[in-house]
Amino acid sequence: MKEFLLDVPVSEGFFSYLGNFGQVEALPNLGDGFYKFEKPDWFSIKGFAGDTTVEVRFRKEVMDLTVDFLYLLFSSYREEAMDLSVLKQREQAVGKRVREHLYGS
Amino acid sequence: MVERPPIIYLNNAATTWPKPPEVLEAVRQSLALPVFGSGRTTGSQGEDSITLAREALSALLVADPPEHVVFTQNATDSLNLLLQGFLAKEAGCHVLTTELDHNSVLRPLHELERQGRIRLTVLPFEKGSVRPDSVEAAITPDTRLMVTAHGSNVLGSVQEIAGIGESLHDHGIFFIVDGAQTAGHIPVDLRELPADAYVFTGHKGLFGIPGTGGFYLRDPESVAPVRYGGTGTDSFSLFHPREMPERFESGTHNYPGLAALAAGANYIASVGVKAVSEKAERQTAFLIGALKSEPNITVYNESPSLPIVSFNIHGMENDDVGFILARVYGIVARTGLHCAPLVHRAIDGGQGCVRLSLSWFTTDEECRTAAGAVKEIAKNANSSFGSP
Repeated sequence: MKEFLLDVPVSEGFFSYLGNFGQVEALPNLGDGFYKFEKPDWFSIKGFAGDTTVEVRFRKEVMDLTVDFLYLLFSSYREEAMDLSVLKQREQAVGKRVREHLYGS
Repeated sequence: MVERPPIIYLNNAATTWPKPPEVLEAVRQSLALPVFGSGRTTGSQGEDSITLAREALSALLVADPPEHVVFTQNATDSLNLLLQGFLAKEAGCHVLTTELDHNSVLRPLHELERQGRIRLTVLPFEKGSVRPDSVEAAITPDTRLMVTAHGSNVLGSVQEIAGIGESLHDHGIFFIVDGAQTAGHIPVDLRELPADAYVFTGHKGLFGIPGTGGFYLRDPESVAPVRYGGTGTDSFSLFHPREMPERFESGTHNYPGLAALAAGANYIASVGVKAVSEKAERQTAFLIGALKSEPNITVYNESPSLPIVSFNIHGMENDDVGFILARVYGIVARTGLHCAPLVHRAIDGGQGCVRLSLSWFTTDEECRTAAGAVKEIAKNANSSFGSP
């Protein structure tokens, strides 16, 4: 588990954006809203809207393959409408390597 | 950045916090003066904190004589020393333990089993304790040792040590009781408790600091020493002394830690263990009653003897509940398996749970806040866990 300190607070919109790459669950009435993003075999991210820290849990065996994509998710996010095609291509490439590493195919 | 609420510390079964002011002062004083240890210095301006700690523990646990109280790093260290030392004399024997036990017991025993040095039976529990007749039924001609927890760190139950010990002693079986969760929390009288060895740790109910612990050993000859070194006594001999407590203690002691342990034990003695236990029982019953009133919460221990409440919220991972408690309410709990995997396999299918654990310093107001927080999370989990 790693705690990431961000330079700006995360928003509900950030977790909605993450939903393009995995499953997001929410308890919006707790604090400023609790959110959890799950990308099976890669990592999970949990945190509260308005907070500058999030907790990330990696799947250890493939962490060296997935950590760069996590940074990319953080750094690419914009509040306005986004073109996700480059991120999706990158996700596909990393996903292939993750599957090969974990399952040999 | 979101402002964090003040801490409500409910992880006392792991390490108690806060410590009594007397404990902090004892550490300060210990470090403010040079170490004074008999045989290790010509100085005489300080207190012999090791002897004072031994006497304090001896008095609190009614463990005579004080020299049979041995200091170690913690309960795990004590258990390893006792197991290795006992089995040095009884190699290849059959050993009993229970599903209630902590990894400090389970891991050394499973390692010994894997090495072919013992045959191991792990007994199931019912209602927070292993039944004495189950112990009796598991005894075989080569059974020489039983090791088990006095109190469960997940269920808060206290085992029927008297009944279990009676069965064991009828068969001449050595009995190690792990008191990590009971020392300081409930009255312990080692004149009465049928344990051959009783293990304690300093940083939990005894209000010491991490890095201290020990055990009481009724018959020193029953366990071989497995560590040797300097004791500050009989130094011309190239063999380690066999007298107590040097038999099991070598190297320089943790002086500030043991000064803290003595202060902690004396603090509890001044309050009275019975008072500690009664307050804990009242607050724990309140918490359990409050949590049980919420249908979305499963409480795993309905009438514990120790201040521990273990639960899960339906549809939520225990780790998420702990995260929310900490971030939104400032409540420090512990989630997961609590180093007791077999208890969890029995009660929650091995998924783990959330544990709230209290101490003498936990206030009624903190209990009310914690109950309200858990119920609020449970109510929200019920209605809205899903996609944003």
